[in-house]
Amino acid sequence: MAESYILLVEDNPDDAFLASRIIRKVCPDEILVARDGEEATELLQRMARDGSYHRIRFMLLDLKLPKINGLDLLLWIRKNDQLQKLDVAILTSSDNEMDQERCFELEVLDYLYKPMTADMLQRLLRHREEG
Amino acid sequence: MPDEPARGSEEIPLPREVGGIALLYVEDEADARVMVAKMLSMNYPHLTIYHADNGATGLELYRQRRPDIVMTDINMPVMDGIRMSREIKSLNPEVHIIAVTAHSDTSYLLNAIEIGVHNYVLKPLNYQELFGVIDKVLEQVALKRLVGEQNQRILESEKQLAGSQRIAHLGSWEWHVDCGTMKWSDELYRICGLEPGSLTPDYQRFLELFAVEDRPVIERLMHDALKGEAEEDHRFCRVLRPDGSRRIVRVEADLLTEERGLKATVIGTCHDVTELKEAEEQVRLLTEDLERRVIQRTSLLQATVSELESFSYFVSHDLRAPVARLEGYCKALLEDCGDEGQGNCRQYAERAEHVAQQIKQIIDAFNSLTHYARCALAIGETNLSAVVREVAQELQQDDLQRRVEVLVAPGIRVRGDAELLRTAVSELLKNAWKFTSKTEYARIEFGRREQEGVSVYFVKDNGAGFNMKYADKLFKPFQTIHTPGEFDWNGTGIGLAKVHSIILRHGGRVWAEGEVGYGATFSFTLEPNPETGNYLTEGLSSLEQRG
Repeated sequence: MAESYILLVEDNPDDAFLASRIIRKVCPDEILVARDGEEATELLQRMARDGSYHRIRFMLLDLKLPKINGLDLLLWIRKNDQLQKLDVAILTSSDNEMDQERCFELEVLDYLYKPMTADMLQRLLRHREEG
Repeated sequence: MPDEPARGSEEIPLPREVGGIALLYVEDEADARVMVAKMLSMNYPHLTIYHADNGATGLELYRQRRPDIVMTDINMPVMDGIRMSREIKSLNPEVHIIAVTAHSDTSYLLNAIEIGVHNYVLKPLNYQELFGVIDKVLEQVALKRLVGEQNQRILESEKQLAGSQRIAHLGSWEWHVDCGTMKWSDELYRICGLEPGSLTPDYQRFLELFAVEDRPVIERLMHDALKGEAEEDHRFCRVLRPDGSRRIVRVEADLLTEERGLKATVIGTCHDVTELKEAEEQVRLLTEDLERRVIQRTSLLQATVSELESFSYFVSHDLRAPVARLEGYCKALLEDCGDEGQGNCRQYAERAEHVAQQIKQIIDAFNSLTHYARCALAIGETNLSAVVREVAQELQQDDLQRRVEVLVAPGIRVRGDAELLRTAVSELLKNAWKFTSKTEYARIEFGRREQEGVSVYFVKDNGAGFNMKYADKLFKPFQTIHTPGEFDWNGTGIGLAKVHSIILRHGGRVWAEGEVGYGATFSFTLEPNPETGNYLTEGLSSLEQRG
């Protein structure tokens, strides 16, 4: 079992590939990929049950997802007793201001525009460590 | 003088002072004729006196002069006074004849009375008696004349009233409540399609002039008026003409005297307003039609706008994702092919990434443009002069080396969306700023001029100018009419397109004039009172409510 995970919620295989490529450059963590909101929910529930959710360093969340969208997933996480403190950063290509505002209300680490670069990820990590 | 009886406004003048009255004196004795005529003219200086020496000449003179009074001797040669009087009476029965007679003429006198000679004086003439008779006759003449004049005046005013009623299509009526009879003016008959005077008007017939469904309205109006409760009120009712056509009339009624109940008289008018009402109805129908069309077109526009909205949503979200992906791969390629990649690989990767950036810029520009068509306007007063000064200051701060003379006409205030207008003005100024960058003494002017009653705002510069044949390209997005590299180009190519959208949203127009090497002038107008919000996205409810 890996020390820690980075959870990438991304439906598009290209985007998942590009994000994973950058994560691997910057972070040693194992990457878990969920391909839609539902898959992410199920994974998180399972990890909440066996306690492994503690090992998720942070989650990179796309907003536009099949089944359960990113915003609803984020809302669900913030309402879940065990998961509510989970660090979440949004990774999106949408520039919808309303989405952005809502996400910051739900205490996301950052709101990143695709494509993510190594610099952007490093800044995110620094920001997270500084709290 | 306290003894004098009170007189009306029409004072009857003393007989001796009445002017314009003529008297014909016929007498065959020359001495008497001259003497009497002289006495008459002395005593009645205003009286015109003619004299003749026998009945025949007297009659001839009467025909010519038509005097009011004839004073005649009876026994005369050629034609006696009785025959002459008969002839004159047949010409004018109204003439006053005074017979001058001797006692021996009694038989003649009886004839004279028969003819209608009501006054006589006896010979030998006693002047006091004569003047007494003439005074009496003059008084009669004057009185008759006065009555005649008054009658004439009444007739004239009646004629005028009838004429006015006819022209105005205004009928009038009078209702004598106690006997139920009425008086209708001729025009009232005509309005109702009847021959004036063709029936004896009464209350029942009056009611029957109107369409059955309007009769209770008229009854109500009449009885309110009778009770003195008519509050300058009127009713519109339909009159049914015998030929079946309908007229619309405006009926008014009022109590004539203070006396209410049976003894009262109610007067009123009946105004034919059919044409007026028809025109009104037509205006109403046209307005309704216009409103319907406005609503129809607005909903068409709304459909278009909502399509535009879903299209721009598509562009902004769905297109953005693959572009970001493309950019991601370009970056990956650039990173992985290293500093000494194969052939031109690195250069191509760089350029491809640049292209992806451009696509993103275009998407942004597109979104920003469609935003102006869709956003709600917050209308308020904006001081454009102040905005121009602020923007100019900002431009100077960002470009400290430049020396540009900026002239701003003070106190130009307009109604509009402050934020949007700032964007528009700022784009125009940026444009002027950019294209004066190669001008030695750069000068930018903002002002207002009146053109055909409309305020035209303008930004004028003495920069590079442009060729007028490209004028219509200026406001299209992503168009530039200058050769690449000619001017520092760091904008997105939608500055003037934004201006165009914003001015359009404010109900105005924007255009440009210029000449290569001699600067450009950008002018725009604004709707004086633009609508707040956005009727294209807010639904039709606000429009309908207004209707």
